[in-house]
Amino acid sequence: MAYGVTQQMIDTFGEIVFKLSLNKQIRRGDPVRKLDFSAIEATREESGLTDKEIAERIGLLPEQVSVVRVFTERKHHKIDQHRRLYHLGGGKRWKKEAYRSPAERLQFREDAMMIRKAIKFLPELAARYIEKGYWINETLNGHLINYAHITPDALAIIHPEGELSYKHLKDSVDELTNGLMKIGLTKGDVVAVQLPNTLEFIISYFAITAFGGVMQTIHMPYRDADIKFLLTHSKARAVICLPAFKDFNTAKVMLSLKEKSDTLDHIITIGEVSPKGTKAFESLKITGTPKIDNPPVGSDPFLLLYTSGTTSNPKGVPLTYQNMIGNARLSVPEFHMTPADRNISAAPFSHLYGLYNFHVALCAGAANILLPVFTPPDLAKTIEKTKATTVFLGPPHAASMINAGLLDNHDFSSVRFSMFSGSTCPPSILKTYRDKISNHSDGTRIGQLWGMTETAGATFCRDDGPKDLALKSAGPAAPGNEIRIVSAENDEVISANTEGELQVRGSSVFPGYLNNSEANADAFTVDGWFKTGDIAIIDEFGNLTITGRTKDVISRGGVKFNPADIEDLIVSHPNVEQAAIVPMPDPILGEKACCFITLIDNMTMTLEDLCNLLDSKKIAKNKWPERLVIIDEMPLTPTRKIIKSKLIEKL
Amino acid sequence: MANEKSNLEGLRKACEAYVKKKGALAFGLANIETLERTAPEGSRPSDMLPKVKSVISIGVGGGTRGSWSADAKTLAYIGDTETMAYRIAYGLAFYIEAKFGYRAIFVPPDMDPEKGARVPMQSLKLHAEVAGIGARSMAGDILLHPEYGMMYYASVFTEMKMPPDQPMADNPCPHPSCVQLYRKSGQTPCMRFCPVECLSGSIGDDDQVEEMHYDAHACAEMSQQYEAIPSILLDTLDAKDPIERGMALHGPENQVIWYKLSVGAGELLSLCYECMRVCPITQTAPMANPVARGAGMRQKIVEAEAAARTEHAIEQDSHKEN
Repeated sequence: MAYGVTQQMIDTFGEIVFKLSLNKQIRRGDPVRKLDFSAIEATREESGLTDKEIAERIGLLPEQVSVVRVFTERKHHKIDQHRRLYHLGGGKRWKKEAYRSPAERLQFREDAMMIRKAIKFLPELAARYIEKGYWINETLNGHLINYAHITPDALAIIHPEGELSYKHLKDSVDELTNGLMKIGLTKGDVVAVQLPNTLEFIISYFAITAFGGVMQTIHMPYRDADIKFLLTHSKARAVICLPAFKDFNTAKVMLSLKEKSDTLDHIITIGEVSPKGTKAFESLKITGTPKIDNPPVGSDPFLLLYTSGTTSNPKGVPLTYQNMIGNARLSVPEFHMTPADRNISAAPFSHLYGLYNFHVALCAGAANILLPVFTPPDLAKTIEKTKATTVFLGPPHAASMINAGLLDNHDFSSVRFSMFSGSTCPPSILKTYRDKISNHSDGTRIGQLWGMTETAGATFCRDDGPKDLALKSAGPAAPGNEIRIVSAENDEVISANTEGELQVRGSSVFPGYLNNSEANADAFTVDGWFKTGDIAIIDEFGNLTITGRTKDVISRGGVKFNPADIEDLIVSHPNVEQAAIVPMPDPILGEKACCFITLIDNMTMTLEDLCNLLDSKKIAKNKWPERLVIIDEMPLTPTRKIIKSKLIEKL
Repeated sequence: MANEKSNLEGLRKACEAYVKKKGALAFGLANIETLERTAPEGSRPSDMLPKVKSVISIGVGGGTRGSWSADAKTLAYIGDTETMAYRIAYGLAFYIEAKFGYRAIFVPPDMDPEKGARVPMQSLKLHAEVAGIGARSMAGDILLHPEYGMMYYASVFTEMKMPPDQPMADNPCPHPSCVQLYRKSGQTPCMRFCPVECLSGSIGDDDQVEEMHYDAHACAEMSQQYEAIPSILLDTLDAKDPIERGMALHGPENQVIWYKLSVGAGELLSLCYECMRVCPITQTAPMANPVARGAGMRQKIVEAEAAARTEHAIEQDSHKEN
């Protein structure tokens, strides 16, 4: 230290030096002007001393005083104060509450930065999307605020217990936003939501994103093990869930996870009364317009969805407003959706498809009809009762309604457009559905949409496209997107009507997986094409038809999961030597899981044993194999990897 | 004796005429004995110019009326006219030496690094106050003048002897309206509207300032970006990541500082002025308005010319009588 000054000396003398120097000045009366020399002397010290004078007073060298003073002033010094200037003058007056330093106002927690760091697009692509207007400065709540302002009384939500106008929806969102902010949630915080398609889901979604939070969805069938991984990976700060769902004590499980988590602070349960240790959803509500210092902007991440992935764990997909809301906004004119439409999604909002559909209707200023839990009769009754005009569903939804004869017994005359997605769409189901709906609503149309969590709505049939296109194709690329087929052998782009690997590039394509450099390294080409892993054909008009998948993911009724972790559990059974799960075709769900195993000598195993094992391990039911095949020997590669395609051939 | 006095007055008038012609509003001579007695050791006029006989203080007008209505960021850049004051004082020092043959210096307005962060080599405020062209206000001792409001000051030391002025008989601060507000709310406008709350104090029963407290450190944090330069460099060293480091050096506000340094503006980079914006003296002093100031000067010229004509007429009459 300079001049023999120690930290101890700074600590000892710092404050007195600060006080004696010219930092705090006091004048009594007007001694200089009145030439009152005795008063000048008397107030000399209070109006500040030089370093030399201070040194004499406290017994240091003047140079030492200088060092002590510099370090002490530095400790007191506030930076960025001059920014207050921007809030002054020109008729504005300073008020304490009117100014918060930007360093404080725009602060992000370290965990929140984790997701922001995952948002990285190729600059030339970003420039193109902005130039073309695919990406604009829009947010989810921006659309809500817009319609609450221009059409406040228009219907925003139709739910089983009633209806909500855009204005009332906005008011409800404001109440919860205030509550979430009050418990300390800030911009960039992840809030996980495990809820069905209820009004509470919608209000939570808007409220979380209103202050800049990121919503993570958790599928309703997920249980302890799945949820633990998801919440740990996302570093979620809060969970909004039901107190319990069917046989699952959600609140209890969430609370036990909270105890073990460093990041999870709040468990919020739906209802007015909350289980001990959780906060009641209703009790959080505070009336009034929220004061949001750091509001979200178009480039912010606002959604964190998880794919089933091809590795053993799901992969986090962060999405920005520009990705997802831009995709929906650009889709509105393609579907000719207007504020007069009443839209229903049979798909859960925890999936990309359900959310995409919700966004499209929101961007159009239409009403969204909520179907909390899908059952074929409930969907049919709700469409009839609410006079839905657009229906977004998956082939299993349609097949189950057809099989139950519901399309013959209910009034579907309001339906002008139905969109299919979620899994491979068998043409027979689509045709039957269209024919039966046409009996009610002449001229009604159907379409197919293809997308992944990573791509949002990447391709879809247009409302005014060729009539039968939807029976075999998911249509051309969505506005802002491009699709191409490349050869699996050499990655070269191949000509129309030739099967190959599908690649997608565009404004709705995600920026990369969260904290998964291994997956990211393999996910994109150098020029930004996302390798979907699906096998497809594109015809000469640019229409896409999915023909298969290169990956092992199983898509059961559109809900995809990777069976690797299930296989590991099965192999852990003492009777099992090897296990492999492959998809088997299903007329309703598209695919189901079939498990092939080899047994240890003289041991036995039944499907019931297998399901009991998975149940005891808290694995979601939709991931359980629905057929068990015991074989003597697994087909293996030279490196001892199971050749699943040979197993599929056995089905 | 009368001749000597007349000569000294002539020197003073010549100097005053010079600075006013160059744009100064106020001119005063501080009593050298008072300054030697009042200023702390090391900051006395004789510490700088050992044979100093006169301390000249000049005042130059602050912002235009328009600038007081502008937003604070604009005012911060256009509000100070100190360099103009310095230029005139520099010129005066040369003028005295060239015209009268006495040594003179322009008094540097800078801080003395040996004495502390906010300790000046000479207090220009003290010179002006003793010279009677400003009085200390509640607003952190900013000098105010009943006619010209807030001014910037510059000083010249010379070995040429001239008769000194006296401090102003009355202090315009606090203004009666400020006293009224203080009685109601316990604060004067400058206290209330200071963005960093650096002002406090009390007004006595005689409606004069009883105590003035000024947090100079808080004020400097707000208004003097030169204080930020070492902070910026330390922040750069302490930055946690390249983005923070880059912002510390190249953030918009900090870039302004480098820009100012690189062009050698040599002045304070940004001032707040909110206390002066709400100060009734600053805003209503008759000569603070440049338009009125122009008219006032014209009026003074007219009066001087009229007086001169009258004197001439009297002289003529007296000649006739004789």
